[in-house]
Amino acid sequence: MNSDPNPSTRRRFLRSSSALIALPFLESLGFRRYASAAVAPAPPKRFVFLGMGFGVTKQSWYPDQKDTGAAYKLPEGLAPLAKHRGDLTIIQNLANQYNNEAHWGSTFWLTGANRYAEPGQSFHNTVSVDQVAAEQLGSDTRFASVQLTYKGGDNSGHGPGLSLAWNRQGKPVSALNTPVAAFHKLFSDDSTPLEQRQADLLKQRSILDTVLQDAKTTRRGLTQTDQDKLDEYFQSIREIEQRLEKEKEWLEVPKRVPNPALVEPDKSLQGVEEVKMMYDLMIAALQVDTTRVFTYRQPLDTLIRSMGATISAHNMSHYEPGTRMDVSQQRDLKQSELFAHFLDRLKAIKEADGSSLFDHTTVTLGSNIHSIHYLTNCPTIVSGGGAGIDHGRHILAPAKTPLCNLWLTLLNGSGIQADAHGDSTGRLDSLLKA
Amino acid sequence: MGLAQDVAEIPRVHDQVLVEYCFDCHDSLSEKGGIDLEMLSYRIDSVESAEMWQKVLNVLNSGEMPPDNKPQLTSEEKISLLRDLSDQLVLARELLSDTGGISTMRRLNRREYQNSIESLLGVRIEVEDLPDDANSGGFDTNGASLFFSADQFEQYLALARRALDSAIQINEEPPKPIRLEIEPETSTNAFITRVSGTIKANWDKTQAWRTSDKSKPPSEFGLLDEFDVRFRERLYNQQYASYRRYLDDPRSQDAVLLQPFFDRTNFVSVKIPSKASFGEFRIQVFASTLEGAERGDTYLEYGFPGARGGEIERLGHVRVEGNGNGTPVPITLSIPVVKDGPREVRIRHRQHNNRDASRSTFLDSQRKGGLGPEPKLQIDKIVLTGPYFESWPPRAVSEIFFKGMGWKQKDSDGYAREILLRFAKRAFRTRQPSPEFLERLHALYRAEMKTGKKFYEALQEPLALVLASPGFLYLAEPVKQENAGKSELLTQPELAVRLSYFLWSAPPDQKLLVDAREGKLRKPGVLRAHAKRLLEDRRSDAFISSLAHQWLHMERLDFFQFDFRTFPEFDDSVKEAARAEVYETIRHLLDERLPVHDLLDPGYVVVNDLLADYYGLQPVEGSAYRSVSLPDDSPRGGLLGMAAIHAMGSDGNHSSLVERGTWVMRYLLNDAPPPAPPNVPQLSRVRGKLLSPREELAAHMEEAQCAQCHQRIDPIGYGMENFDAAGKWRDMLKLQKKVGKKVVKKEIPIDSSGRLPNGTEFSDFQGLRDAVATHKDDFARGFVEALIEYGLGRPYGFSDESLRERLLNRSAVRDDSMRELILAFVESKPFQRKK
Repeated sequence: MNSDPNPSTRRRFLRSSSALIALPFLESLGFRRYASAAVAPAPPKRFVFLGMGFGVTKQSWYPDQKDTGAAYKLPEGLAPLAKHRGDLTIIQNLANQYNNEAHWGSTFWLTGANRYAEPGQSFHNTVSVDQVAAEQLGSDTRFASVQLTYKGGDNSGHGPGLSLAWNRQGKPVSALNTPVAAFHKLFSDDSTPLEQRQADLLKQRSILDTVLQDAKTTRRGLTQTDQDKLDEYFQSIREIEQRLEKEKEWLEVPKRVPNPALVEPDKSLQGVEEVKMMYDLMIAALQVDTTRVFTYRQPLDTLIRSMGATISAHNMSHYEPGTRMDVSQQRDLKQSELFAHFLDRLKAIKEADGSSLFDHTTVTLGSNIHSIHYLTNCPTIVSGGGAGIDHGRHILAPAKTPLCNLWLTLLNGSGIQADAHGDSTGRLDSLLKA
Repeated sequence: MGLAQDVAEIPRVHDQVLVEYCFDCHDSLSEKGGIDLEMLSYRIDSVESAEMWQKVLNVLNSGEMPPDNKPQLTSEEKISLLRDLSDQLVLARELLSDTGGISTMRRLNRREYQNSIESLLGVRIEVEDLPDDANSGGFDTNGASLFFSADQFEQYLALARRALDSAIQINEEPPKPIRLEIEPETSTNAFITRVSGTIKANWDKTQAWRTSDKSKPPSEFGLLDEFDVRFRERLYNQQYASYRRYLDDPRSQDAVLLQPFFDRTNFVSVKIPSKASFGEFRIQVFASTLEGAERGDTYLEYGFPGARGGEIERLGHVRVEGNGNGTPVPITLSIPVVKDGPREVRIRHRQHNNRDASRSTFLDSQRKGGLGPEPKLQIDKIVLTGPYFESWPPRAVSEIFFKGMGWKQKDSDGYAREILLRFAKRAFRTRQPSPEFLERLHALYRAEMKTGKKFYEALQEPLALVLASPGFLYLAEPVKQENAGKSELLTQPELAVRLSYFLWSAPPDQKLLVDAREGKLRKPGVLRAHAKRLLEDRRSDAFISSLAHQWLHMERLDFFQFDFRTFPEFDDSVKEAARAEVYETIRHLLDERLPVHDLLDPGYVVVNDLLADYYGLQPVEGSAYRSVSLPDDSPRGGLLGMAAIHAMGSDGNHSSLVERGTWVMRYLLNDAPPPAPPNVPQLSRVRGKLLSPREELAAHMEEAQCAQCHQRIDPIGYGMENFDAAGKWRDMLKLQKKVGKKVVKKEIPIDSSGRLPNGTEFSDFQGLRDAVATHKDDFARGFVEALIEYGLGRPYGFSDESLRERLLNRSAVRDDSMRELILAFVESKPFQRKK
């Protein structure tokens, strides 16, 4: 930020030329380049990860493994995605080699970590791919990344964690758990006057200094293990400091709301309607460039119940021909339908250069669980033009290819520097456009 | 848990099998796929060897190895190898993750945070925004799993501000109490008259159009269109007769007749006027039973309005005693009203707390030609009084502003300094706040004063900050430099804190603190006496419920919504009563100094009015729990007789004998089966046949991978089949299956014979219960392991085994009560040591 020769220009401009602000990337600091160079910069890259929890119906969700390439037959469970088939890639045989937890569809999905890697500890995790992306994509937006989840216990097959995201220290990142909470965080402006907010920011600083003072005292005499624990507190304060730094820059910039504006979601949304609303909120936030990285740990138990099922998600996941399999397949269809809606919306939003939001976003729908208790061949659909994938194909990777190879490919394909991620052994270069 | 050895090792008996089926490719010579099993140690003592054996287990489970074209293990060989492999791997994981007796410093978990705030400020705040800290399989006291995420600091700060805002009341006089007498029928009748009038008027319009020659559109008749006509007609057909019947009932002129699920007569609403301050309010309800009311119909439930229509945020239930002649009996309800909290209370006949149930039940009754459920209870009059306060100014205010609110202070800056110091010392429990920290707090106070705030307002921010600081949020137990690496005794104040957070999930009270400061805690009998006192105090409910809830994995009770058609009686009131039965039974054991194994087959049951009714026992009066003795053949009594336990072993609709069997192994026999392995091929079942769960699960035995565990699990579950998903006794099993497009139904008698993993056979539920009761020592071990884990804040490990045995032996010498076990634990060295 120090490189900005004249920070006030941006603000002045934003205030005076409201007509132009409808363009999504203007809220980002990338606008500076735009303003000075008069040539639109390439629209930024975005990432969205959608976690399904318990896996899918093996028999009807996956394409036939022998039927690869562009002419594959779209399976029944993905039928609602037919109109997007040219913009999708389905990849089979990806897996996280270390996960042995048959009910943990999300804990290691984006990290590839080994739960038992640390002797003396019964749980260990590492950074998730979205957070790696956010480190580089997040500097120009109001929020570096936003995590979404649902309310209630883990009865949807996600496993431990607060969201799909885990930070650099391998600690869970918290999430917004209702559409209402997400709506306010993303789009509601603080109504306090500017001077007051500036004063509040200053106060915030002194607040952080004060608690840090006590944290230092607390640290004295602690064993190494306990100091490591307390470091989480220090880390949290550091993260707030970074955010305050950002807030200072964004203080005078009102939160952008899409046109037409959204209204506050109904508090009682649950299941299908809840997921759809979260999707719409994500799209709106991507449209106005509030953040470039989203993860969503989707509800499953309430999803199937809102569709009329009377069995639990776990019960469904152990399907067999009959009611349970019917529910499982209807669930697949509904998730595909919702995903198709998400892609429709991504395609409908135009960037400043005439391309669509879809062209610059990478969306992944998947889970660490294949179906039932299988953890091999994790269900994986990638869409969007952000990572330069040559879409429209069904790809069969060699058996047990690390899922992290895909994550690394998506990162690098989006111009994000990384030599490895999790247990990756290389990139899936065959996915990319020649 | 229940570690029997300190080494994880694959038994040598499998040597032959590995040589015969694996070494062809995976010996040191061939090393196919880079896998050399010949050099792999049978002893699993490192993360690497565990990883390799895990791979072996995984490929056997998935059927990947041996390859199809190679000789296959016999079923017996496979079951035996898989069983040992998975058991030894569980053991190895536990050994490798054993902290060696080291607990990680812990943050206050969500419950403790809430209680600590209440203890300091006298207000109970909503903590929903914080992560619930439940961690899968472990306890919420496990320091290593209590993370601190970036949002959390701000959440703590926001909660502290809110708490201080309600706690600090500056008036010298308590708020004036109000008294309201409400005749609830006035508003109910006015509402029904109005609504039914509109429905009738619109219906008349539809009939005018219907009987016309239809040359004019409905809009000429005051309706929108034909859809509107049909809508209005439907409304009339559904509701008008019910409203009419209500108003025509002469009893409705003097009272509200509660009709479950029927819109406005479903509940009576009591609004606390917004001009009244917050605090405790009392609602006196004059209610009576109506003709035809059976005992099950005589319960009222009450709560704040819920998120959706037809739902409440339940506060409790109460039974209306009456003789059916409408003579009102006053009942007093206590309602906590907090600042900015809900101010409406709804009182209704108990029912399923769910909007869909509410709609459907009414419609179901209509479909059968009825007018909605008959009223069984009526409410004549309501008297609302309050707010009531224990003391004024509230205790928390006089503790913080110990010299008054600051109006008359000459040196208010100096007073502020004293206030901050005293508060921080109390909040930090054992540690002195540093002068630098206090200086910064004071600077913050001065800055706030400069903005024109009043004295007490300017202090709120620094006070809130104290409650978001590590000194308050973490239970730190620093060690002296010279003791680094050695085990050190807790200081007495630290011991006091550990004890009270253990037994109260809250900070120590004055008595305990004074003894700690005076160094008396380690004098003979003093610590024990305090522990006994803490256990006898109702604040130990927090200990009982948290320990039991997490030990017995009771969150499952909230996973599922119970179907209101299948289980009309199992509503939230009964579910809460069933949950409380677990806690209250433990409370009973502690109060009466009864042994832990009384949870297995005690011959008595601890119930309240509602639960006694649910179980079909002799009626008891009152919502308080008491023990009632049972005849020998009663299925009730002990964990295995509890509705909550059976409901947890279901999905809200069907009982699951796998869930139940696993639960019994894990918690009653202290012999947890290995976690469900990934990638086991699932058998596809015989399509179209209507099989009993028992027959369906027979398929588990066909494949070795499944059989190795399900042989142990499923036969226990058979013994519990006589309990339906909501824990009621049944003799017949209703089966239903969709075959093609048809639904096939069948009823079959239940066969509850089965077998424990050690081979003990039983022929029915009583037999299962007797067989489980012979495992009382295993059960007690499991309890002690949970106790150690909960109390020391780390996973139970091999290194705790000697402690466990010592506690069991020691308490057996005095008496073998659960209370004695807890006291022995408190008096043990590990409880009194750092780390």
